[in-house]
Amino acid sequence: MAAETEETEDQEYESRVGASYMLSRLLQDTTARISLILIAIISGMALFAFVDAEFLDYRLAETYLYHPLRNNAGTRPLLPPVGLSNQFGDGVLAHPLGTDTRGRDIAVRLLYGSRIAIQIALVSTTIGVVVGTTVGAVSGYYGGWIDDVLMRFVEILYSIPFLVLVIAFMAAFGRELIYAMIGVSIISIPIFARLIRSEVLSIREETYVEAAQAAGVKDRNILLRHVIPNSFAPVVVQTTLQMGTNILIVAGLSFLGFGAQPPTPSWGQMLSIARNYMLPAPWFSVWPGLAILITVMAFNILGDGLRDTLDPRLEN
Amino acid sequence: MTTPLLSVENLQTQFETAEGTVRAVDGISFDVHEGETVGLVGESGAGKSVAISSVLRLVESPGEIVGGEIRFRGETLLSFEEGPNGERRQSPESLSNKEFRQRIRGREIATIFQDPMESLNPVFTIGSQLQEFIEINRELPPKDARDVAIETLREVDIPKPEDRFDDYPHEFSGGMRQRVLIAMAIACQPSLILADEPTTALDVTVEGQILNLVSDLQEEYGTSFVWVTHDLAVVADICDRVNVMYLGQMAEQADVHDLFDNTKHPYTEALLQSVPRPDKTVESLTPIEGVMPEAINPPSGCRFHPRCPDARAVCREVNPEPRNVSDTDTRHNAACVKHDAFDVDYEHSTPIQSEGDEFGEDLQVTEGSR
Amino acid sequence: MSHLRYTIKRLLQAIPVLIGITSITFLLINAMPGSPVEVMLGPTASEELIAAAEERYGFNQPIHVRYVKYILAALGGDLGRSIHYGVPVTTKILERLPVTLLLLASSFAFALSVAIPLGIVSARRRNQPVDHGSRVVSLIGVSTPNFWIGLLLIIVFGYHLQVLPSNGLVMPLTPISEVEGATSRLDVLVQTVRSLIMPTIALGTLQMAAVSRIERSSMLEVLGRDYINLARAFGVKESVITRKHAFRNAQLPVVTIIGLQLTSALGGAVLTETVFNINGMGRLIIQAVRTQDYALIMGTTLFFGVMFVIGTLLTDLTYAYLDPRVTYEGED
Repeated sequence: MAAETEETEDQEYESRVGASYMLSRLLQDTTARISLILIAIISGMALFAFVDAEFLDYRLAETYLYHPLRNNAGTRPLLPPVGLSNQFGDGVLAHPLGTDTRGRDIAVRLLYGSRIAIQIALVSTTIGVVVGTTVGAVSGYYGGWIDDVLMRFVEILYSIPFLVLVIAFMAAFGRELIYAMIGVSIISIPIFARLIRSEVLSIREETYVEAAQAAGVKDRNILLRHVIPNSFAPVVVQTTLQMGTNILIVAGLSFLGFGAQPPTPSWGQMLSIARNYMLPAPWFSVWPGLAILITVMAFNILGDGLRDTLDPRLEN
Repeated sequence: MTTPLLSVENLQTQFETAEGTVRAVDGISFDVHEGETVGLVGESGAGKSVAISSVLRLVESPGEIVGGEIRFRGETLLSFEEGPNGERRQSPESLSNKEFRQRIRGREIATIFQDPMESLNPVFTIGSQLQEFIEINRELPPKDARDVAIETLREVDIPKPEDRFDDYPHEFSGGMRQRVLIAMAIACQPSLILADEPTTALDVTVEGQILNLVSDLQEEYGTSFVWVTHDLAVVADICDRVNVMYLGQMAEQADVHDLFDNTKHPYTEALLQSVPRPDKTVESLTPIEGVMPEAINPPSGCRFHPRCPDARAVCREVNPEPRNVSDTDTRHNAACVKHDAFDVDYEHSTPIQSEGDEFGEDLQVTEGSR
Repeated sequence: MSHLRYTIKRLLQAIPVLIGITSITFLLINAMPGSPVEVMLGPTASEELIAAAEERYGFNQPIHVRYVKYILAALGGDLGRSIHYGVPVTTKILERLPVTLLLLASSFAFALSVAIPLGIVSARRRNQPVDHGSRVVSLIGVSTPNFWIGLLLIIVFGYHLQVLPSNGLVMPLTPISEVEGATSRLDVLVQTVRSLIMPTIALGTLQMAAVSRIERSSMLEVLGRDYINLARAFGVKESVITRKHAFRNAQLPVVTIIGLQLTSALGGAVLTETVFNINGMGRLIIQAVRTQDYALIMGTTLFFGVMFVIGTLLTDLTYAYLDPRVTYEGED
């Protein structure tokens, strides 16, 4: 009888934190639903750009859109977007957002810029979550000198202003994308390490973990089976929010010239070019920023929605 | 009969939740007379605390008082009337929120909260908190209020009150904090104190001390008390009259001796049977079968019928209001149709199975495990 | 007394952090391609010349020896010479530091003075239009890149309306003769304020939004506490409850967030200074990296670390001041 009850409770608990349950609760929230749709669209764009750029040498872009890296048959540079230009007639919608300083279509470049944003943010956030979670869990679970050493190290990483850290890192290793990814991962690690550690510290005191220890379950198994799954909710929330933060950091880095190098488009780099044309073509500065804002906001809304769903204590 | 100090009639407080409306307090009535200690008893979720909050208008959104009348010394504090479109609204005789705050809260009706660890503001010294309430409610200048505060702390047996005045709540034990909360209530010299399970969070020994302290103070000041508790031992100890609540409604209301010796409601009976007493072995305790249903979807008819050993078919149909079923001169109300005062032909109704028969004996009264 | 002890304890804890920052930066710099000497002497220098110079400046010594030497010199206030500027690093940093500090101070002042009232009003009028409005504003605020805000501000107020200067920052103590069109100290101060407005908004918006979000949720949490209800039950006015009883408690998570926002604010300063061409620490470090000015990179990173440590210390002390429980926990 007792065992049976326990099992049903377990199932019930699992179904309550389970992905499908989460999703269905999340989808009841209109803003969260919109943010999910937005993220899906942006990710789809990024995937399209990624495949086309990496494997098809921009053939898709050239066939159906414009080549994002080259001028297209002598298009006028800094063509204003639809509505601002006086040229009505044929081809008014040819370049809906206008063209950049080399006559390249801005909309297409934004599309291909989404790839850089999503790619770096995704890779660096993932590395941050995996490494940070491991460090934090080990640190919090074992405590003692391991905790001291790891946490001091995390604190140091945390204390260097992140932009400065990544810039120094990229100055040392190079300005290529891969180093931007590693650099941004490094600054994501402390955030997850601290989060997980504090979760673990509270979970470690829970009766069921003590029971598992008393029953002789191996530490590694306790960590993997009990401690980490129970810190799941805050990690999911933080991961989502961190995606947004990392996109902002990557944009800032590109703006400063650390990140995707021309002619590969990225949103931050487009802004740094636009910055030199603020007087003749102010609208050029608007689009990439808007793209960043919408993407980051979608992740932030989703993170807030997840927090409300996963953690009823933090109702808004 | 004299005008009661506090009179609550047909009070209704409900909470709008995503799952539906929760009628946490569903039409309860009770009186408190001068100098009297009245018990409000029931399991967790019976609506005791909500009732107390409602009297003080401390119900927070999404909760709302939707009906009933509350009078204090004959003056209407709260009443409702029919609006032009048939909706129920607060009548103009009700005290405005501002008047209620200025004249009633603290001055006439003070309160002692349940959790001494959570009820004191952690960033202010206990002295400054106590002093502030005294300044507001007795309109004393700061200097005098401070003296009163220290004097009151002494009265509730806090050692060296002059020194402890400037200490922060985290420097006090739970029992000491509860004494501070009591000091806050009595220092404002109210005529009525609503005590919401003030000893539940404390050790049994400390609880005893606090109960003695309260009895002494009551003798000294003649303050009336409403004492919310789930603990019948406490009720027997300090209450003059008792109101037993079940799922937002009153089950039984009687003089404390009548309640224990001449129980009229099966729920009260069950509560008494489930409490350990020195004259009974644990085996002879009878748990109340089943658990209290949620107020969001109360059972039809009498709300206790699914757990009631005396339930009959008619209990599913009729939701009885408490009526006087006394055999003597003193009033003794019970909301159970088995009494003759309810003319619903209980005698000839078929007995029905209660929840306990299905679930066996592993479910007990859930209260007290906090 | 206990506050002093707490301060000292926190300062001591900062030492390993600073050592960590310097050693990480030192390692990174040594991983850079080329040597400082090559940069200094230019691409045409002969190998013998480079070797001689390396010998002379001690670059041929092992890295740990150089690190210890650097730390010892740094303790004596010597951070080396900037190759690019040809002056001691400390001179350059002390010239730029006040600019960045002024920018940071003004943007935090802006952020807090807007965010705290906004968050409180939002919490008090939960789910009313003013709450929805402020939540949308803070959501946009935390999602917008600060350099983009800077660009938009320049386009609108600098170029189109031409009401605010979009280049540089006039320091309040600049000699009057060096400030264009200024004939008195007051003129200079007016210029300072005018030149601060846009960078402050650009840099402060993120902080403002982050703080108002936390202020709102923190205030909501505190307003639901038992001790707030107790104060209500004893007849305390709602306005007094917000201002006195809830305010101090509600600021605790806010102070924590401000501490965490510090790194992002320092990073934001780099971008904001770039956008507005402000010669502060942020532009200095970018410049140092671009010119591979090793001593300058080390020095600026170290100072960013020190700024962070001091900032965290200030937030910790504020926390300890607000919450009487802290000092005791810290003394165990």
